[in-house]
Amino acid sequence: MITYFVSLALLAVIYGIAAIGLNILVGSAGIFSLAHAVFFGVGAYAAALMAIHVTPDILVCCGAAIGVTAVLSLCLAFPALRVRGEYFVVASLGLQMVAATVFNEAQGVTGGYGGLAGIPAPTIFGTFSLGTPTRLLLTSLGILLLGLGVVLAFMRHSFGRALGAIRDSEIAARAIGKNVELLKTTAVVLGCTYAGVAGALFAFDIAFINPESFTLDQSGLILTMVVLGGAGTLLGPLVGAVILTLLPALLTFLPMVPPTEIGTLQQFIYGLTMVLLMIFRPAGLVGRRSARR
Amino acid sequence: MMVHNPLSVENLTKRFGGMTAVENVSLELRPGIVTGLVGPNGAGKTTLFNLITGNLPADGGVVHINGRQATGLAPHVIARLGVARSFQDLRLFGGLTVRDNVLAATENSSWPWQGGGSRAARERQQATDAAIERVGLTHVAKIQASDISYAEAKFLSLARILATGAKIWLLDEPASGLDPSSSQRFVRLLKDATAQGVTICLIEHNLDLMKATADRLAFLEQGRLLALGSVDEILRDQELVAIYFGDKSNAA
Repeated sequence: MITYFVSLALLAVIYGIAAIGLNILVGSAGIFSLAHAVFFGVGAYAAALMAIHVTPDILVCCGAAIGVTAVLSLCLAFPALRVRGEYFVVASLGLQMVAATVFNEAQGVTGGYGGLAGIPAPTIFGTFSLGTPTRLLLTSLGILLLGLGVVLAFMRHSFGRALGAIRDSEIAARAIGKNVELLKTTAVVLGCTYAGVAGALFAFDIAFINPESFTLDQSGLILTMVVLGGAGTLLGPLVGAVILTLLPALLTFLPMVPPTEIGTLQQFIYGLTMVLLMIFRPAGLVGRRSARR
Repeated sequence: MMVHNPLSVENLTKRFGGMTAVENVSLELRPGIVTGLVGPNGAGKTTLFNLITGNLPADGGVVHINGRQATGLAPHVIARLGVARSFQDLRLFGGLTVRDNVLAATENSSWPWQGGGSRAARERQQATDAAIERVGLTHVAKIQASDISYAEAKFLSLARILATGAKIWLLDEPASGLDPSSSQRFVRLLKDATAQGVTICLIEHNLDLMKATADRLAFLEQGRLLALGSVDEILRDQELVAIYFGDKSNAA
């Protein structure tokens, strides 16, 4: 039972890291992306390939995930951020579609539908094994705290203010000297590397990855975590990730619900929660309660 | 040595499809004075601001800022050349506090960090607090900008400009909708700024406010600069008054 809860906690932490990254885009810079699962997936594949073929050192694998997602996110950000916000949403949706095909078809790299199996247990500093769920959870928690610290450092300072300015009015941000394209690109790259790291941890957690974990549904789930918890807040995305990761597990404990109906009930609760939230807490669970003095 | 006017435009032209919004406008803003830009709605006043600040590409003509050719430069580059502007619809950063709105205007590095270390950071904080105090918003400094009153929002818009340190201000109806006492306070702030060498171009429909602040007026109609002169000269010209208020009002 403890192992089960540790696994759940680990998954919540992993999604929390991904959601914190997406929050940099959505909450801080006002850039809506439907492709966060792509970067989650690319990070997972990069780390898995590094672990299988080179070294399972978690720092090296996370570094590889960061490098690859940073480059890919640059490819998305440079052309897409030169157009208006809604076009970025469309571009990210397009990237999600393309990535789904590539994950499935590039069998030599991703293993195609069959995925990549036999991802070795991670180590740290080359020798110390992180092969138990508890050790991986503690390591992931450390990475989560580091990630939160980086976000806090950026967001409480000029970068956060600049992104907030861009989110609220691009034209006014330009009028006070903000290089909007550069700042938005930086936000996209930073946010996507969080997804890459989360993907790397996910690959080590499951020890097997295939394209089903990196679909549009996953992108929607991570976006929901951000909105549910509170876009633009520090802890909101983490709260959203914990709730949406634990909710399906908690539903399995409901005695009256047959296992075959859990999926339907889960969808219903997700939908109802989002509707109620938008009515009563539009800024999310951690967001501001009221908007007026 | 040749002395340049802070800002000048020559034959500036902008067309939207078949409509010419700004047509061969040439205008110089002289240092330390307020040039009012008047004209009926749709005369091209805001479009002229958008052309000067790089928010719209010009179809013809040139912009010079302190003698430097600035046509075609990106808006943030023009802002860093010392041109600040306000917007009719204010465009505050509603999700930031009043203080952060102003502080953001002092931070003009392109990168996610600011140079200059803690001393420069302290100077930016001081400039921010000074700008907020000058416009009388210290009491709402920690409040989110979306939550302040309309008049406070108008003054915040001005504080943001003050904090940039820009010496050329393009103000688009900055005092519209203000009560008389706030308007007077606004006029005093503009006069203080010009006394300190700031060059202002002001779009304003309130002619009383224009009389109180402007040193000269430029009259635009259908994208063309029809007249440029002292406030009295322009406002005494019956033909311009007729265009401004419409024939009916002139007949009355």
